[in-house]
Amino acid sequence: MENLTPEQETFLADLFPSDALLLRPEQTAVFSTDASRLRAAPLAVVRPKNREQVAELLHWAHSERIPIYPRARGTGTVGNAVPAKPGIVISMLAMNRILDIDDRDFVAVVEPGVVTGDLQRTVSERNMFYPPDPASSGFSTVGGNVSTCAGGLRAVKYGVTRDYVLGLEAILPGGRALRSGGRAHKDVVGLDLTRLFVGSAGKLGVITELTLKLLPKPETTASVLAGFPDIRRAMDGAAAIFRAGMLPAALEFMDKATLTALDIAGTSPLPKEAQAALLVRVDGSEAVVNAETDRLQAALQKARPVHLMTGRDENEEALWDVRRGISPASFHLKPDKLGEDIAVPRGKVAEAVEGVHAIAAKYNLTIMCFGHLGDGNIHVNTMYNASWPEEADNAAMAKGEIFRLALSLGGSISGEHGTGLTKAAYVDLQLDADQQALMADIKRIFDPHGIMNPGKGW
Amino acid sequence: MNCILCGKCLEVCPLLRATNREELSPRAKADLATLLKNGELPLSGEDVAGLTGLCLGCRRCRDKCPQGVDVPALVADLRAAHPDFRSWLWKTWLKRARELWPSSSLAAKLIPEKFQPERLAPFLKALALLEGGPHIVPFVNIRELPDHKGEAMLLFSGCTARYVQGHWRKTAEKLLSAMNIELRKDKFECCGIGLESAGFGADAGKMREKNVQTWRKAGKPKIVTLCVSCHKGLTGYSGCFKNPEEALQWTEALTPISELLFDGRYVLSENTPARVGYHRPCHAPKNDTDHTLLTAVLGERLRSHDGRECCGFGGIMQLGAPELCARVNARCRQSLEGAGVVLTGCSACAAQLTATAPEGIRVGHWLEILKTP
Repeated sequence: MENLTPEQETFLADLFPSDALLLRPEQTAVFSTDASRLRAAPLAVVRPKNREQVAELLHWAHSERIPIYPRARGTGTVGNAVPAKPGIVISMLAMNRILDIDDRDFVAVVEPGVVTGDLQRTVSERNMFYPPDPASSGFSTVGGNVSTCAGGLRAVKYGVTRDYVLGLEAILPGGRALRSGGRAHKDVVGLDLTRLFVGSAGKLGVITELTLKLLPKPETTASVLAGFPDIRRAMDGAAAIFRAGMLPAALEFMDKATLTALDIAGTSPLPKEAQAALLVRVDGSEAVVNAETDRLQAALQKARPVHLMTGRDENEEALWDVRRGISPASFHLKPDKLGEDIAVPRGKVAEAVEGVHAIAAKYNLTIMCFGHLGDGNIHVNTMYNASWPEEADNAAMAKGEIFRLALSLGGSISGEHGTGLTKAAYVDLQLDADQQALMADIKRIFDPHGIMNPGKGW
Repeated sequence: MNCILCGKCLEVCPLLRATNREELSPRAKADLATLLKNGELPLSGEDVAGLTGLCLGCRRCRDKCPQGVDVPALVADLRAAHPDFRSWLWKTWLKRARELWPSSSLAAKLIPEKFQPERLAPFLKALALLEGGPHIVPFVNIRELPDHKGEAMLLFSGCTARYVQGHWRKTAEKLLSAMNIELRKDKFECCGIGLESAGFGADAGKMREKNVQTWRKAGKPKIVTLCVSCHKGLTGYSGCFKNPEEALQWTEALTPISELLFDGRYVLSENTPARVGYHRPCHAPKNDTDHTLLTAVLGERLRSHDGRECCGFGGIMQLGAPELCARVNARCRQSLEGAGVVLTGCSACAAQLTATAPEGIRVGHWLEILKTP
């Protein structure tokens, strides 16, 4: 199908009046792409304001066999929001109400288009805490985070998005509404359909409401940035933290290539001898954080860092600005990037990083490793110049080897981003035929005609 | 550098926040500009009024972008590239002005006989001010002002104080005079910031040249500004100077009037409202000296919102897409709820917030609260 028929256009125009339906190419252009920079034009974009519109649309699309692509803010990096086959993009941004925040149940009920950072600010004003914090939390949505099971810096202590979804409402192809879970923090009755939806990347239905678990807000935080002469010593430092019986709220690492990029960008506060770094945050009450900071410094000293900086309040944010500066700084090395996010068991991180460095040397590439050491989720950024064919080929070959390395260590080809379009071809490396057949059978029960976000990897 | 579609700009765009329309986000515009440049989309499908409605010109996305992409400039280029843009603007300008003002009114002087770019900025502000409420009754007594005897300065009063709100200029002149500053006559043109965003980069460039000339002729003294948007416009004059030293002299010469007033002593009078709201303009610098001064003068009475909301003035959007401006403005007003008086340091924000203030709420430039000598 290349175009909508006049009847189909009329149906959409009736259901989505005025600017809730976009058809002109200059209006729909941005909905053809996402942060992956891949592109495929949709047939139309619609903007529902309520579940009834979504239900009617899915009833119609199911009978017309038209692909449907749920989209929030399109900040995913693997192309999950790209309408790979001609179909209709549903922009969920107009469904962005916070419906309830309950400080007795410790839950928030929200529509999917709420920006995660806005929810965090709102619950924080009531002394509560919604921990999942992907790097995009200021500009991505809760719905998008749930669809991708977004992780983030705090995952080491607080877990990922799936650990905070207590219940949801979703509209399935055909227009049926599914309500699953609820406000109870515990529920073991039946198969866990709520969790099935978390991370399903829009392949099962369209989420229209979410019930999320909240925690009491930690009173304060403190952070330590430590520079080490090599990656092994940095890993020793991290191991010393856990051996001391501490569970930090965030534990990030940066390798030599990452520190070089920051140094070129002028945003590294570490001396040149530092060839690897750890950035650690602790949280809790004032007294606990004071004590934990002392213990943290003592534990890190055992690995003999070349530099140690502690930050509270504004100074603490300055330390985290170093981490936030990595992505923009990376482009000082090369103009193009293949960004992967492999995950390995916590004890295998050093081996994984060294393995990636060996791959970088083999293909004569600069590959930065940094990320969530605490949960073994490593961001592997291969920097290259796409206009140099040989380097582009090498980057593509390195990508496959990096995935094989992660799997050989008992890990995963993606800890956070998903597979979408950019990693779809590599899913077979991780999931065998039986696993994929089971997943396809499950999907068919929800979506018999395969209209939900087709063309993407598991 | 090109846009990498990362989406960081989505966090700060007030137009996206108010409309939830992703096609109006900075990322969408950067993407659109790339597609047009590469010939992957025809511009012919885009009507001129649609182009005016794309961007408020707040420049928040420009400051946020890790790649240094300047989306407001890209939008200005799109407008400028449209063959019918200038004639559409001129026609719309005349039509709106004649509908609104009788030829005898004060604002009628903003209807020139031919297209005069320097009149556009004050015209748009006057347009916003049509339903302007009453002025603020001053409530801050000045006990003492710092002495700048022997210092010569130029006052950059800006279009609004020149054409629409003459009392701001008078207040500023009185304050500077009370500080014994030797004030030179203001012969400046418009700063050019609004014109540039509208798509008249060449006209803005001529004004910049003239302004730098005026400063040179006066012997390069300090330039005192009243409006943070003018100030922001003046800080973007790179390319107008003979050498880097002169560029630095210019930057150092630019002085917000609030900075000069820091060392004064002020006493609140009995009619001071219990809650005074402060609207932080999009164009305010990180070190917002207006806010610092007001915090020192008003203490706990000053309530500042989180600075995320734009007043919705939008420059040329006032002509092409007033309904979108109104949606942005509504969020801003919501954030200022509870304040009897709302102050700001930008002439456009003051115009827009005055025009849209609920009954009983007074809005103005913070200069209006000072009882001048």
